[in-house]
Amino acid sequence: MLALIKREIQDHIVYFIGAIVASALLVVVLVEEVFNYDSRNPAVGTTSLGVVLSGIVALGICGMGAAQMYMDKTRRISAFISTLAVSRSRILLARIVAGIVVILILLVPLAVTASILVRIFTPPIPLYSDMIFEIFTATFLLALGGYSIGLQTGWNSSAVTPTLGGLGLTCIFVPLVVVKGFGPEIMVILALFIGASLLRTWHKFSSTSL
Amino acid sequence: MNDSVIQVENLVKYYDGRCVLDGIDLAVPRGCIYGLLGRNGAGKTTIIRILLGLEPATRGRTLLLDADSASLPAKTRSRIGCVAEGHNLIQNYKVGRLITLCKDLSLQWSDDSFNHLIQTFRLPTDRRVRDLSMGMRAQLNLSLAMAIDPELLILDDPTLGLDTVARRQFLELAIEVIQKQGRTILFCSHILSDVERIADRIGILAAGKLVVDCPLEQLKDRVKKMRVIFPEAAPANLYLTEIVNQQTQGREMVITVANWNKQKQTILETFMPSSCTEIPMSLEDIFIECTRPSTEPLQVA
Repeated sequence: MLALIKREIQDHIVYFIGAIVASALLVVVLVEEVFNYDSRNPAVGTTSLGVVLSGIVALGICGMGAAQMYMDKTRRISAFISTLAVSRSRILLARIVAGIVVILILLVPLAVTASILVRIFTPPIPLYSDMIFEIFTATFLLALGGYSIGLQTGWNSSAVTPTLGGLGLTCIFVPLVVVKGFGPEIMVILALFIGASLLRTWHKFSSTSL
Repeated sequence: MNDSVIQVENLVKYYDGRCVLDGIDLAVPRGCIYGLLGRNGAGKTTIIRILLGLEPATRGRTLLLDADSASLPAKTRSRIGCVAEGHNLIQNYKVGRLITLCKDLSLQWSDDSFNHLIQTFRLPTDRRVRDLSMGMRAQLNLSLAMAIDPELLILDDPTLGLDTVARRQFLELAIEVIQKQGRTILFCSHILSDVERIADRIGILAAGKLVVDCPLEQLKDRVKKMRVIFPEAAPANLYLTEIVNQQTQGREMVITVANWNKQKQTILETFMPSSCTEIPMSLEDIFIECTRPSTEPLQVA
């Protein structure tokens, strides 16, 4: 399993480097936003940061999922690997783990920075730490949702409907988070969507010809 | 536990409404080198892909080492070596990286055996797979398959692209594998002289059916080609069943008959031919006769 995860990371190293760079940039933006906080117009900066963050994370991760599956299909990687002592489920699981690692590389430094800043600049009440947890859990789920759409889109790249459907769903989910905010409801919706989407991807991946 | 390493039961496969495999039944016993033959598009690669779980079957059941090939567990896979048609290795990898990947993913790997093969074939490890020649890719694929000391070796046209020397080396390797007790090889090739040299059982696919499935010696014994000369003009009908091919010229008739037996010989003798000589047939001759498109597929088993 570790060998499979290592292979996914090596094959898609550009996404890992991209996640590190994006994470560093977002940390800088966040710190600058906090230090240049404008008390007369507080909402604009935070909202724009949230939208930019959600958009980058969801689309970037969606792209990674699509690239992983598309490369696999065109280069017939799984067709070769699955003749070794590996099952298709493990190949997909390793791929998903690699995707989750990219999301975590992107979000964890940001979450840690945000937590530190909240401790420094806000009163010590649980409201703020809960808010940080909710925002980052929802962003993680949003990214994972985007990733699972990407996996499906990449595998079904020859079919128009799933490709457009995947892009459409991404376009629905990002505004949904912006409108609905980061709360338990959106987490439940996203978790259900991710479960269904990954199940569908697993079914397609393990039953079609390689 | 079944003694058949490969079992295929009523296998049917349709591609876009076209029947490629039509109820194939096949059992390959342990320790056998099975040569699966057929013309282009006969379904050899499809059978192998279904066996390896790369392709779903439309109907039927396939078992490899007693495990359902649609869901082969990793442990069973680790006992199977495979050389696929076209050598679909990961093209953008360097050879060294591909070797490391295969080694990491295998449950049993023999460095000694692999290094011996790499040195025999003089394969470079610093080049990308896509930069290797077809022959070198075949050698790499074969080396990777052999490094796990497989109990079952599945070879889909493995000598494609190999030069004569490399082909000979490959055949010797295959013989080396079979000499280890209990090893089985399923072998598809268009080079029938190779198959004839190493296979001890033959299957021939034609029109989606397995028309021949028997030991090589038995096949040679059962399909007979004869030159018969009659005292007068050759009769129009010999009343023999399973005539694969018949050519008549004056008193001379050349016939190929499947499932030759004493009864057929007696029928032929009733026409009192002046002479009846058997024309020796190679596997290639038999293959051509059995897959002749103008004739109905014959069952030789």
